[in-house]
Amino acid sequence: MLDSTNQTETAIDIEAVSRVFRLNNGKDLTALDRIDLKIKEGEFVALLGPSGCGKSTMLRLVAALDTPSSGSISIEGSDPRDLARDHRLGVAFQDHALLPWLTIRANIGLPYRLAGRKTDDARVASLIELVGLKGFEDSRPSQLSGGMRQRASIARALVLQPDVLLLDEPFGALDAVTRRHMNVELQRIWGENKITTLLVTHSVDEALFLADRVIVMSARPGRIFKEMQIPFARPRAPEVQREARFHELVDELTLALEPEGH
Amino acid sequence: MRGLDHNRLASAIYGLAGVILFLLLWEFIGRNRVLGSTWPAFTDVVSYLFDPRRNGLFQRASTATLSKAAGGFALGTFLGLVTASGVHVFPLLRPGTDRLSSFLHSVPAIALAPIFLIFVPRDFVGMAIATMNAYFIVYIAATSGLNNSTKSHRDVFTVLGASRLHRLTLLDLPAALPPVVTGLKYAVSAAIVGAIIGEWFGASRGLGVLIVSAMQNYQISLLWAAVLIITVVSLVFYGLGTLAEKFIYRRFT
Repeated sequence: MLDSTNQTETAIDIEAVSRVFRLNNGKDLTALDRIDLKIKEGEFVALLGPSGCGKSTMLRLVAALDTPSSGSISIEGSDPRDLARDHRLGVAFQDHALLPWLTIRANIGLPYRLAGRKTDDARVASLIELVGLKGFEDSRPSQLSGGMRQRASIARALVLQPDVLLLDEPFGALDAVTRRHMNVELQRIWGENKITTLLVTHSVDEALFLADRVIVMSARPGRIFKEMQIPFARPRAPEVQREARFHELVDELTLALEPEGH
Repeated sequence: MRGLDHNRLASAIYGLAGVILFLLLWEFIGRNRVLGSTWPAFTDVVSYLFDPRRNGLFQRASTATLSKAAGGFALGTFLGLVTASGVHVFPLLRPGTDRLSSFLHSVPAIALAPIFLIFVPRDFVGMAIATMNAYFIVYIAATSGLNNSTKSHRDVFTVLGASRLHRLTLLDLPAALPPVVTGLKYAVSAAIVGAIIGEWFGASRGLGVLIVSAMQNYQISLLWAAVLIITVVSLVFYGLGTLAEKFIYRRFT
């Protein structure tokens, strides 16, 4: 981990990245068109956009699950692949992707096993407590609610104290009430770690409440067309979401998401 | 929940009624010689089977056959799992191994037995065929099961920098367990059949030997008693397999 004096250093550097998919009918689909984005060390950035705007593709590129057609991505000066190989990446997807045959404790400790390290039981226990799953350590994912599974999935992403945290609609499958609650939880958890984070979402409220900076993308081809610094101080109480300023920004971003000509 | 229990009870009653009906029909056909003298009554077969003078004979034969089947089952399962894991990690080998396995499986065991006879001692032909039969089922179940893991699980393993070995042992093998257990369930009966066929080619003892000798000496009750043992044993293992399957599916999916 870099020390906190380097707050302004660029952690993720996305330069002129395009991703073109060859479709079955032989045509090309440009999912991302020359995206430039720099994310600072310890910054929380939300990628906001309608479905099909390429924001998930962007996240998969940063996670080294896909490679750009052109352009380059570097994370702390090296290839995203190296970051994954060094076990310095944490990811939570919309699908919790917990292993059904492992207990919650074993699922959260899985990154240690994959890194070939001895599981730090104290660290696992403290994360279980942090995400509010104390008492469910020995349960299996199928015995938990959707919200609890997502919390376990976020705990798993955080357990190795990754340099970069990637969140792809982690609460997308939850109902609105649980989702709001989970966002408050995530804001609190993130506040205790301050990991460089890239969140993909189509929820304006979620992006505004969680992020330091919101990037709005447009679809076909996927481009960045608006950026917004979020002015609210941290730690953010849930009440922030009821402030007039919050609503103004929600309106502004919602308008930006509307298709052109409306 | 109560509705479910009710259904289960009803299906158990239907099943039991079916078995009783089957045995009654068997008894009726045997008693009245409806299908001639080669169809004995069920009670005759059972009293022949449980005649204390023959206890030793049936015990020795069953032990011989079941140990061949068990040996073949264990070896076949081991080979099936190792081969399937091997071609999973080195996919280049997959098409060739698939084809070779299918080819071996498509040759009737009864045609291969004389060839085995050349290579292995007489008393091991049964185990060799049992091994082959079990191997094929486990190999097929495992190769398809190893691709069972979901895309999001594979993504998580990639992002967390998992090695190939970890991916196999911590993701693909556990995900393959349900279909593999289903395969094992069928492999048991296939191994028993294999052991018996193998015994037809000059084994010194076993249920297969009893069957052949009963056929040649027109000992109808002995023939049916041997078949009854095989059927009951196969069904018991099939039932155990179904229980194991239920447990594994609940835990691993």
